[in-house]
Amino acid sequence: MAPQLRLNAVAFVSPQNHPILIRTFEQPRQDELKYHYIAHTSLDVIDERIQAATASKSTDCYLGLLYVEDVAVYGYMTPLKVKIIIALELSDSIVRDADVVAIFKALHTAYRRSVANPFLRLNVPTENVTDHSILVSAGNSRWQAFRKRVDEIGRAVGGFQ
Amino acid sequence: MFVAGLDVPSSSATPQSPSPKQQDPFVALAIRLREALTSQRKVAIWQPDKSKTFQVILVDPEVRFPPRKIAPAEDQQFHTPHSPLSPLTPSSPLYPDGLIAPIWIRKHTTLVPSVFVLFKRIYEHPHTSSRTPLDTHDPERDREREAEERRKDSELAAEIAQRKKSTNERSIKLTVVLMASRKMLDDPALDARLTFIRRQSGLDPRAALFVLSPVTSAEIGDFVRSLQEALYEPAIEYYTNHSKRVRRKRNRHSQANVSYQLPLTTIGSTSAQRPLRPEGWTVRYEYKMACFAEFRGEDDIALKHYHDAYSALHIMLGSTAILPPRTKRWAEAKVLADCISVKICKLYLYNNEHAMALAHHSSHMRLFSDLSRGWGIGEETFEFWSWLARQHRVFAELLEQGTRSTLKIPTHLPSPGVASQTQETQRGSLEVEAMRALGLNPTQALQHPGFYYYMAARCTENRRDRYLRALENESSHHASPGFVNERKVDHLSIVLELYTRAYELFKKYSTSSSQSQGRLTLWIAYLIAQTYYESGKFEMAVRFFERIAKTYRREQWDALLRPLLSTWYRCAQHLGDMELSVQLLLEIIGHGPQDDQDDPESLEEDLLAVLKSTVPSSDQVLTVDLTESGPLLDTSAVFWKSHVNVDQAAAFQITLTAPEIISLASLPFTSLLVQFSGDLPSITVQHTAPESDADVSSLQKIDLGDLSTSSSDNEDKDKDIKANLRWRPGDTLILCGNLTSSVPSNMTVSKLVLTLKEGNWNIDLPLHPNSRRSGTIPYPRWLGSLSPVRFIPVHRDNYSFVVVRHRPHVVKVSLSSEGPAYLGEEFPIVIDVTNADDRELDIVVDILLQPTEIEEADNFISVDEERSSSLIKGVEFGVLPPGVNMNKTLYLACSGAVGDRVIDISVQSRSMASVSPTTPVTPQSPSQVADTGETLRTLVVPTVDPITATHHVTYRRSTKPSPGLGDLDTFEGDYWDDAGEAHVVTTMTSVGPSGIFVEGLKLLREDGTYAKVNESTVDQDEDEFLTEWHTGDEFCDQCRISLARLDEPLGGGYIPGPGTYEVSWRRLLPNNQKGSLAKTRFSLPPLKPPSDGLIALLNVPNTAKLHQTIPLQLTIRNGHPTKSANIILQLEPDAVTDGFVVAGIRNGRLPILLPGGEEIIKWNLIPIECGWVKVPKIKVMNRRPPPPSAHGQAHDVEGEGEIVEVVDVRWDGRPEQSVRTSVDVARKSVEVPKVEMHPSDAAQFAAVVLVLP
Repeated sequence: MAPQLRLNAVAFVSPQNHPILIRTFEQPRQDELKYHYIAHTSLDVIDERIQAATASKSTDCYLGLLYVEDVAVYGYMTPLKVKIIIALELSDSIVRDADVVAIFKALHTAYRRSVANPFLRLNVPTENVTDHSILVSAGNSRWQAFRKRVDEIGRAVGGFQ
Repeated sequence: MFVAGLDVPSSSATPQSPSPKQQDPFVALAIRLREALTSQRKVAIWQPDKSKTFQVILVDPEVRFPPRKIAPAEDQQFHTPHSPLSPLTPSSPLYPDGLIAPIWIRKHTTLVPSVFVLFKRIYEHPHTSSRTPLDTHDPERDREREAEERRKDSELAAEIAQRKKSTNERSIKLTVVLMASRKMLDDPALDARLTFIRRQSGLDPRAALFVLSPVTSAEIGDFVRSLQEALYEPAIEYYTNHSKRVRRKRNRHSQANVSYQLPLTTIGSTSAQRPLRPEGWTVRYEYKMACFAEFRGEDDIALKHYHDAYSALHIMLGSTAILPPRTKRWAEAKVLADCISVKICKLYLYNNEHAMALAHHSSHMRLFSDLSRGWGIGEETFEFWSWLARQHRVFAELLEQGTRSTLKIPTHLPSPGVASQTQETQRGSLEVEAMRALGLNPTQALQHPGFYYYMAARCTENRRDRYLRALENESSHHASPGFVNERKVDHLSIVLELYTRAYELFKKYSTSSSQSQGRLTLWIAYLIAQTYYESGKFEMAVRFFERIAKTYRREQWDALLRPLLSTWYRCAQHLGDMELSVQLLLEIIGHGPQDDQDDPESLEEDLLAVLKSTVPSSDQVLTVDLTESGPLLDTSAVFWKSHVNVDQAAAFQITLTAPEIISLASLPFTSLLVQFSGDLPSITVQHTAPESDADVSSLQKIDLGDLSTSSSDNEDKDKDIKANLRWRPGDTLILCGNLTSSVPSNMTVSKLVLTLKEGNWNIDLPLHPNSRRSGTIPYPRWLGSLSPVRFIPVHRDNYSFVVVRHRPHVVKVSLSSEGPAYLGEEFPIVIDVTNADDRELDIVVDILLQPTEIEEADNFISVDEERSSSLIKGVEFGVLPPGVNMNKTLYLACSGAVGDRVIDISVQSRSMASVSPTTPVTPQSPSQVADTGETLRTLVVPTVDPITATHHVTYRRSTKPSPGLGDLDTFEGDYWDDAGEAHVVTTMTSVGPSGIFVEGLKLLREDGTYAKVNESTVDQDEDEFLTEWHTGDEFCDQCRISLARLDEPLGGGYIPGPGTYEVSWRRLLPNNQKGSLAKTRFSLPPLKPPSDGLIALLNVPNTAKLHQTIPLQLTIRNGHPTKSANIILQLEPDAVTDGFVVAGIRNGRLPILLPGGEEIIKWNLIPIECGWVKVPKIKVMNRRPPPPSAHGQAHDVEGEGEIVEVVDVRWDGRPEQSVRTSVDVARKSVEVPKVEMHPSDAAQFAAVVLVLP
C-alpha cells in the first residue's frame, strides 16, 4: 500500500539560507547542479509558506509540497529554522504526507545528531557556540558521518518498495 | 458555448438606402444595436460563464449559407446525401479517410447560425399635412395610404418569406424585428398590419416578430436581453437537434458496423485509399456531439463526448495499421488529439477540477510520448521535444487565459493539517492525522502558468539540443521535410520568449519578491541569461549575471555561482572586457575549482595568460574586491590579549593561508599592505623571491616590529620588510608584531591589500583581515613556536581586536561608623579616601541614599552643608597627591520605623595628567578619553530605637456625686464633667547597644476635651534620672489623667493620650564623647475608660476609732443610657463577728433610678471591735430583668433580679475594656496587662475597715 517513493535529492539549508549539504541519489549521478537550483529556488516557496504559517500561527514543521517540476519538491523546517528540502521522483500516484513527514523526520534526526558532534566545535572560540557557521560546517566534506547518515536514509527510502 | 450568427441587416442596410428626413433616429438606433449586440460577447478561449448570450455576427440580409448535403451525382450507391465536408464526399478535403476538418468548426461558429434575426423597417406613410382640422377625414387619401401600406407590407412579407425559406431548410429559427417610429406604435392599424406580415411571410407564431422604435441605449440593452432570452430556447433546440441527428448516425453506424465496412475495405484495397474506419467515424461523431454540447453550454456532456473521442483517437493512433505514421492523416489525427486534450483540460478547469485537468494533461503527454517512441520520434528527436514544448506551452497559455478571468490557481498550501486545524480544532488530532495521511498526488497539483512556460522552454532547449546534434551528423541524415523546417526555426528566440513569459508570471505570483528578488525568478533569469549567451547577446547576459550573482554570493551558493561565473567569464571574453575577465577569473579562483575539474592550475594559467597577453583599458589601478565572494586567501588577525593598558604593547599575528585545493603560486603578487585602525601606521610588505626553492618552508613568519601611534616619524618606520608573497597550496604567511597606543581605543587590523602587478596590469586585491571561505569555521590560532610548528588555539570571541584603556586608578575607600544608627539621631559615617596611585587624582564623591520601603521613613543625609533625602552629587575631595588621604563625615538621619538604610557611595577619580587645562572635564561629561576611575561602596546602616516605652493604664471611677440633670453649672464652658481618672504607668527602656546620656525628660501636656494630665512624677525630682542610661536601664513614670464624661461615643473608641514624653538624649560615643542632641518622643497611650451600667460604689473610711461613728456611703449610679433601674437594697450585718453597730436602712427599695440618675444612701457605723473589721455586706439588686446576656445571671436564681456590683472605691482600678479591638496604638508598644476581675468576685468582696482603739 505504501507508494513507491523515489528520493532523488536532499538539501539542508541553514537559517541564513546558506547551503549546508546537498546530496543527490539519482542513478546514474547526473545533473547534480539541477538539485542545487531546485533547493535554492525552493527557498522562495518556503519563505511564502512560512509567512502563511506564521499568519495562521501554525507550528508545523512540515511545509508540504512546494512545487512540481520534473520532480516533486517538498519542504520542512526544523524549529531552529534549518530547512530541509527533498525532491521526489514523479509518479502518478498519491504521495501520503505521512510518508514524506517520516522521511523528513529521519533527515532531521540525522542532522541533529551530526550537529551534536562535539568535534565540530573543536578549536572554535567558546563564545561562538551559536554561530551558524558551525551548523553550516556540519555539511563540510570533512564530516563524513552526516553524509553517510543521509545516504543511508536515501537508500532506505529507495528500497521502500 | 458558441451560437452562430445573427444578422443585423438594418445597420448595414440603412446607410445604403437612406430616407433623408428620418435617417437620424434609425441610424442611431442601428448603430446602438450593433454595439449592444457585438459587445456582449467576445470570442475568447476562456469562456466559462453560462449567461444566455449569443455570439453575434453581422451579416448581409441576403447572406448565403454554405451548401448543404449533396447527393453524390456519380454514385447512386449511397442513398443518403453527404455534406461537402464529409469524408464520403469525394470533393471533400477529408476524402476518403479524414477525421474532421477545422473548417467544420468554422462552419458552425461563423457560417451557419442557430438563430437568424432580421431587422427591417416597416413602411410608414409620410404625413405631409396630417391632422389639420380642415381635412380630418379624407377617405380618398386614407384608402390610398392603406393600399400603399398593404403593397409595401406584402413586399416586406415576401422578402421575409424568401429568407424564411432558406433558414427553414436548415431549421434555423428566423426572427424579424421591425423598426418603426414611436408614432407608428400608437397607430391602431399596426396590429393588423403585423398580423398580415406574419401570416404572409409564414413566420412562427412565437418569438418571431418584434417591433422596435428608436430608444435609448439602456432600453436597447433591455431589448437585446429580452430578444436573446426569447431566442435562447430555439438556439438550444437547434443544437440539440444536431446532436440527435449525429447520435442517430453514430448508433446506426455502430450497429451496421460490420456489413457497412466489408464492401468498403474491398474497394479500399484496390484503390490503395482506404476509407475511414469505424473508429474514425466514432471519433468524428463524438467530436461533433461534443462540439454541439459545448455550443449549448452543457459542459459535462461535452466533456464526456470529448473523452470518448479522445480515447477512440488514442486507439487509432496506437495502431500503425490504422494510421501509418508520418502520413498526412496521421499528423492530422495527432493535432486533433492535442486539440481535444486541451478542450478536456479546459472543461475540467471550468469545473474547478484542477487535479483532473492536470492529470489529463500529463497523461496525454505520457500516452503520446509512448506512442511517439513507436513512431520513431522518441525522446532523442527534436520533433518530440518540439511537440512536448507545444503541449506545455498550450497548457500554460490556457491557464494564463483562464487566470485573466475566472480561473484561480489552487494553493497546495501547508499540509491539510494547517488549514483544517483552524476550523476543526475540536475534532481532535486523530482527524487531522487521517487527513494528513491522505496526501496528494504531486503530478496533479496545478501550479501557475509560469511553471508550464518554464517547462515549455526547457523542452525547447532540449529540442534545440537534439536539432544541433542532428545537424552534426547531417551528412548521414537525409534531409527530411521536418528537418528542413526545423532549420528555419529560431530556437533561441522561442526559448527566450518562453522564459520571459515564465519570468513575468513567476514575478507576478511570487509574494516574497517585494522584499528581495525571488530566487525562482533569479533562476529563470539565469536561464534567460544563458539563452542570451547562447544567442550571442553577451551584453544582455552580463547584465543579468551581475544581478543574479549578488544574491548567490550573499547566500553562499557556490555550486550555483561557479557555472554562472564561468559563463559570465566567457561573455566577458566575447565582449573583450578585460577588466571584467580578470575580475571574474579572480573570483572563480577564490571559489576554488569544481569538484570534477581536475587541474587546479588551469585557472591560474588562464589568468596569467590574460594578464600577459592584454593591456588594461586604463592606467588606473584595478581594484578587485572579493570580500563579498570567496576570498583568495584565508586570513585571520589575532591579538594575544583582549585588553591592554595605554602604552602597553599588544602582540598580534596576521595569518594568510592559501587554500589547499587551488594553486596561487605563480600569481605575481608584489606587495602586501597592512592597515591598522586609528592612527597606527600602515605597513607594506614587499615581495622578495627566496634564494632557492629549497629553503621555502610552508610556513613563513615575518616580524613587523613594534608599531605605535606615538611614533610620529613614520618615514623611518617604512623600513623594508620583505617576504615571499607566493603561496603554494596550503602555504601560510604569518605577520607578527606589537601595537602600542597612547590613547584608549580599540586597535584592530582594518585592511589587507594584496597588489598584483603583471605587465601594465596593476591589480589591488583588498582582503578582509578575518575571512574564511564559506563553509569553514573561523579557527583563530596563535603561532607558539616555529620549530616545531605549534599553534595555540585562541578561545576568545573577540580575538580580532584589542581594547586599549587607561591604567585603573588605585583609590582606597574606607567607611567607618559605630554600630547601628538610632532613630532620630544624626548618625555619623566617616568616608576616608586614600590615593594609593602614583598619579595625582581629583576625587569627587557621589552619595546616594537608596529609597526605602519602610513606613513613615523620613531619612536624609548630609555632608558639609548639603542635605538631601536621596542624592548628594559631586562632594569635592579635591586633588589628592599620591599617598594622601582625606576624610569627610556623612551624617545619616533617620526617622520612621526601624530597619536598614542603604547608602551607595561612588568615589570618582580623575587623573590630573589627562585633563587638558582648557576644557575641564566634569564628571558628568561622558568623554571617552578622560582618564577616570570609579570606586563603588555600598553601606547598609541598620537603624534601631534607642529607647522603647511601655504603658500600663488603670481607670478609677469618680467619687464625686454627679450633678443633677438640670444643674446650670454643667452648661459652663470650662465645666469638667468628671468621669473618673486614669492612672498611666510608663516604663522607658534603653534598648540601644550603646548607652545614651539623657539630658532632659519632660511630659508635654496636651490636654484634650476628654482627658487632661493632672499630675506626673516627672515633674518632680528631675535631676535624679538625668544620667547615662545603659542598655537595659529602665525608667518609670506615673501620671494621673482626669477624664471627662463622654458626650457621645468616640469615633475610634479612644481618647487620644493627653500628653507626650520627650526625651532629649545624646549618644555615648566610645571615646567618652557625646553625640549630637537627639529627641525621642513617646505620646501617652490612647485611653478608653470602661463604661458602667448599673453600679454601686461603696465609700468607707480606711480607719476608724473604736466607738466612734464612721460614715458608710453607697452611691448607686445608673450608667445605662436607656434603662431605668429598680433597686432593692439589703444590708446584712455579719452575724458571727458583728463588729459594727449599723444605723440606717436595712432593707428597702429605692425610688426608680432613671438612666444617668444617682442615689446616695448613707449609714453610720459604730465599730465595737478593734482590728480589721469587715463592713456589713450590702446587697444591691435590680429587679428589672436584665438582658439575658448580662453578668450575674447565675445569682438570679430567685428571679428577684440582677445583683448589682458593689465596688469599694478605695480599691477601684480597672483595666481598659477587654473588648478593645487591636487598634494600632501608634508605634509605641502599649502593653496593658490585663487584670481579670470577675464582677461576682467583686460582689463578694467585703470592705474592711481598720478599727483602732
